[in-house]
Amino acid sequence: MARTKGVAKNIVRYLLLIVVCVWTLAPVAWMVSLSFKGPTEWYAPNLMPAQPIVDNYINLFIPTNPIGGSHFFTSITEPITKPLINSLIAAGLGTLFAVLVGFLAAYGVSRYRAGGTFTIFFTLLTRMLPGATFVAPLMVFYSSIRFIDTYVGLILLYTAVTLTYAIWLMKGFIDEIPPEWEEAALLEGASPWTVLRKVTIPLTKGGLAASALFIFILNWSEFLFALVISVTQVTTLPVQISKYVSAVGRMYGTQASLGIIATIPSVALGYLIQKHLVTGFTFGRIR
Amino acid sequence: MPKLVVKNLRKVFGTFEAVKDVSFQVEEKETLCLLGPSGCGKTTTLRIIAGLEVPTSGEVFVDGVLVNDVPPQKRQIGLVFQDYAIFPHLSVFENIAYGLRVRKMPEAQIKTKVHETAALIDVKSILDALGKKLGLSEMQRVAIGRSIALNPKLLLLDEPLSNIDAKARERMRAELGKLQKEIGIATVYVTHDQLEAMTLADRIAVMKNGLIEQIGTTSEIYDNARTLFVANFIGSPSMNLIDCELVYSEERAILKSGDFTLDITEFAETIKGKPKGKELVFGIRPENVSVDIEKTDPTAVEAEVQLVEPLGAKSIYHLKISGVTVLAKGHPMAEVNVGSKVWATFNKDKLHLFDKKTEEAIF
Repeated sequence: MARTKGVAKNIVRYLLLIVVCVWTLAPVAWMVSLSFKGPTEWYAPNLMPAQPIVDNYINLFIPTNPIGGSHFFTSITEPITKPLINSLIAAGLGTLFAVLVGFLAAYGVSRYRAGGTFTIFFTLLTRMLPGATFVAPLMVFYSSIRFIDTYVGLILLYTAVTLTYAIWLMKGFIDEIPPEWEEAALLEGASPWTVLRKVTIPLTKGGLAASALFIFILNWSEFLFALVISVTQVTTLPVQISKYVSAVGRMYGTQASLGIIATIPSVALGYLIQKHLVTGFTFGRIR
Repeated sequence: MPKLVVKNLRKVFGTFEAVKDVSFQVEEKETLCLLGPSGCGKTTTLRIIAGLEVPTSGEVFVDGVLVNDVPPQKRQIGLVFQDYAIFPHLSVFENIAYGLRVRKMPEAQIKTKVHETAALIDVKSILDALGKKLGLSEMQRVAIGRSIALNPKLLLLDEPLSNIDAKARERMRAELGKLQKEIGIATVYVTHDQLEAMTLADRIAVMKNGLIEQIGTTSEIYDNARTLFVANFIGSPSMNLIDCELVYSEERAILKSGDFTLDITEFAETIKGKPKGKELVFGIRPENVSVDIEKTDPTAVEAEVQLVEPLGAKSIYHLKISGVTVLAKGHPMAEVNVGSKVWATFNKDKLHLFDKKTEEAIF
């Protein structure tokens, strides 16, 4: 009896897993399929392309090469190299700063209750509004200090917006580390900075990696702010992706191929730090 | 010169006064135990000495130098934490070497020092094991090793045996005692376990509500408790404490608790001037109440046995004497059972008398 019950339980478990996998991976599969299809197939329901082509990918880098007729044509003349680099810079540096500042802030809050309970709650409060509500004032403010279409503007904005997540996530991980370890190191003669470097950071690195990845993905996929702030210089990948479907034309295949390219860094990073993600997303419990 | 002097220490957390006024000193090679129930301020006192807490007022001197403003990393004090705080991501070797590396000692010297320490604490065979893989007894030893590798001026231990089950605790207590003798360093040991304090300390400071109730050698504390709290806290089973009043009848001084009476005329000089009838508590340790089947002593009183707890070499008898329950500890007697009538004799040399109001000892 117990055995059949166990089998039944497993069947249900795997069925659920399959449903979740299909649910999340089906759009990805469709995107892959679309990226290898020619314009004639873009509206067709078949998953496997009848005539697989790589023109979509080529078109990303050599946009002067039109695929099909004028209906499948956009005003894009620049290759995606610049948006790709822009995205790497903005998301990368934004993440780096958010993690750096966030870690120190989280440490202060966790260990010394810095700023009291209100401050830490207030940081969360700023994330309770939809981003669109402060897009307009941000535009005005940014143009007055000439931050529109600059890297500094975009990086600072990404840092500020994700800082809340950085603080809250990392505070959780630091809370998990008993302060005795740090005190023991202090009594061994280590300075507070050495303690941070040699004890706290090594013990929280799983959490830090998970937080960093989480924030990187947020920044990497951010669309609204990038759209508003960029004009020509700091266009990021999400903004670029949106441009392939415009009033002029609809290049679904090319758009899908850029979607695939944009997905690669997140997936690769996630794979690299998989081990830390397990401890990170289960929120510590290292003891 | 004393190794450590603590003067009028006070520590307030918000509205809670954890330490009210604590002063004591520790001599070279001496072990002082801060003993008291949880919340009595003993750990806070220890953390102030280590520099991990800042005192609200008061002074701490190490080697005659005021260290109030010296940060913990510069105090050269070793601390063994309750949970040992062994760095889980480092090997035993690196745990012991931690402080030496911080001080940028040359690698060869570190190696020598770690091996020397490892030999002392008997962890030579597990030097490569990671901190998180260690057992409790190993952690304890590594924690001590890490603290002493730097030749600290002072060693502090914060309830190092409290997380360990009874059986292992006995063994580790003995190990700790042996190690302490070998290291020979001035030590402050915090515990709530009076047995630990009795076996490991040279002197004990009994703490309650942020104050030291009594400080003295183990025998002073045990034999001459100065307050009701100390009398009750030290000893297992604890001292018999019986509410009573002092009455005089026919030139004799008598302690009376209901129908129970105890003649204490021989202490007349000591209790002179103490108003009669005042609320008093008399105390006697179970081992100072002897139990006999025959009436061998003229002062013996009749008692009924309510419960016998055989401990092997000794037995604890719960006696009912004229309506008062008294515990006695003595040799096991096969013929004494629940309901037996026996004769109990109080060793009056070991009698204690306390004022119930002030809780202070009269003698």
